[in-house]
Amino acid sequence: MYELLAQVMKFLLIGLIYYFLYNFLKLMVLDLYEERRSSDETDYCLRCEDGREFPIRRVTTIGRAKDSDIVIDDPYLSSKHAMIYRRGKRLIIQDLKSTNGTYINGRRIKKPVALKEKDVITMGSRKFTFLRREARGLERGSDL
Amino acid sequence: MDSREEAIYNRSLAAMALVGFLSFLLLSAYRKPLDFLPFYGAIAFLTVVFVGYFFTGWILANSDKFLLLLSSFLAQLGLIMLCRINPELFKRQVIFFAIGVAFFILVSFFTKYLLRLELAPFFYWVATAALLILPLLFGVEKGGAKNWLVFDGFTFQPSELAKITFAFYLAGALKNGRITSLPRMATEILAVVGLLALSKDLGGAMLFYFTALIVIFVATSRADILAVGGGLSAILGVLGYYLFDHVKVRIEAWLNPWQDVPGRGYQIAQSLFAIAEGGYFGTGLGLGRPDFIPAVATDFIFSAFAEEFGFLGAAAVVLMYFLLVYRGIRIALRLQKNFDILLAVGHTVMFGMQIFTIIGGVIKLIPVTGVTLPFMSYGGSSMVMSFASLGVLNGLWQRALEDEDDDEA
Repeated sequence: MYELLAQVMKFLLIGLIYYFLYNFLKLMVLDLYEERRSSDETDYCLRCEDGREFPIRRVTTIGRAKDSDIVIDDPYLSSKHAMIYRRGKRLIIQDLKSTNGTYINGRRIKKPVALKEKDVITMGSRKFTFLRREARGLERGSDL
Repeated sequence: MDSREEAIYNRSLAAMALVGFLSFLLLSAYRKPLDFLPFYGAIAFLTVVFVGYFFTGWILANSDKFLLLLSSFLAQLGLIMLCRINPELFKRQVIFFAIGVAFFILVSFFTKYLLRLELAPFFYWVATAALLILPLLFGVEKGGAKNWLVFDGFTFQPSELAKITFAFYLAGALKNGRITSLPRMATEILAVVGLLALSKDLGGAMLFYFTALIVIFVATSRADILAVGGGLSAILGVLGYYLFDHVKVRIEAWLNPWQDVPGRGYQIAQSLFAIAEGGYFGTGLGLGRPDFIPAVATDFIFSAFAEEFGFLGAAAVVLMYFLLVYRGIRIALRLQKNFDILLAVGHTVMFGMQIFTIIGGVIKLIPVTGVTLPFMSYGGSSMVMSFASLGVLNGLWQRALEDEDDDEA
């Protein structure tokens, strides 16, 4: 009697264990989905003086190296010059021990600094403006 | 919280309660005459889970329910096996579980509010070393390792608490993203590992060593240290093989348990028989013979589980541990300060390594070392301290969310 019960029960228990597991896997998928939706693209971009715009992603590296997200061919830049990354809702810029340094609004940064809109970032001889991407359409409109 | 998430949590809570009721009712009929002790135990256990679940939700608004529910489910599966193997241990384990949940809540609370005061890493190192020296001086030997402290009628394994202080030490020492003094750090870590090896707790020594290595790699991203550390571990392993007899025995039993089945290879051979017996769906609860395996309630509970719940059940358990580690890493990714990140990584890696060491050991992937399977093995210190580690992770999660809210404001 007990054996029969246990034999039947084992399928039921395995089923329930997998149902539990399925729910938690679903939670993980939800997590990852949320992470991706809110992560990869940010609403900000860097605008170069010559008018080029570089979108900023969750982690954006800037430098001369070909595998940087923003490749800038300028002899005054280091190959891995700086990095902008997202922490929570903020975007933070960090100088990657570059030779000539990274300047925010004219001040050289040593530690990671949170960026504010319209900050001017100077690296080597290049100046970039940190802008919200929604503002881009408006400004372009005004240029025309 | 998201209502969709809430619904999923409620469904899994229901599934968990159902698994508990069904299997413990079955176990009540297992021993003759009919004995409802398992069933009362299950009610006590589920009460603790529900109270813990809603209480944490109430006092900590954003408590990570994922961690608590998943670990409780694993604890439940462990309790089912314990109850089937030895009802006496089961009764005590339910109490340990309740204490564990209390610790989870307390530690979450402390981590959330008190961790802002960071003590010097050296202090944590001293605490770790002291915890490991105490049993060497006053301890008693149990199961081949001298790492137990006995107060009247109650034993405690300080190395479990040392895992937590060690993770704090690593996080504190590496919070600037570089090693201030490599020789000093290496000496401190090797001293801790050496103390564990002296108490013949080789599983523990391995655990601490690899955790330190991985946390250092995460903090500094220096592959050279990782390579040197890996090489050093191989050398230490070979040295251990020739210097210590018990290491030799373990490794020989691992390489060929069939050489000496009634002697050295007995435990691992029985474990393999048990797992083989289980097949895909297992023998059914109460129909296997896990009692042939020595130390089945502590180290080898996974083989007992694999026998009665089969390969599918065992695979589900491994996946659940993966999810636990995944959650730990996710918490680490959301944190902002180096100290917090490394703390979360340290605890998660410690968990991951421990699970790998013991599950790998019982399925003969690596030599057996006596560490417990967190949440499932019988053992008060292990249960309570595993929950305390989760409490630290939960507290860090609270802070991650808090900081993100600050940023928005």
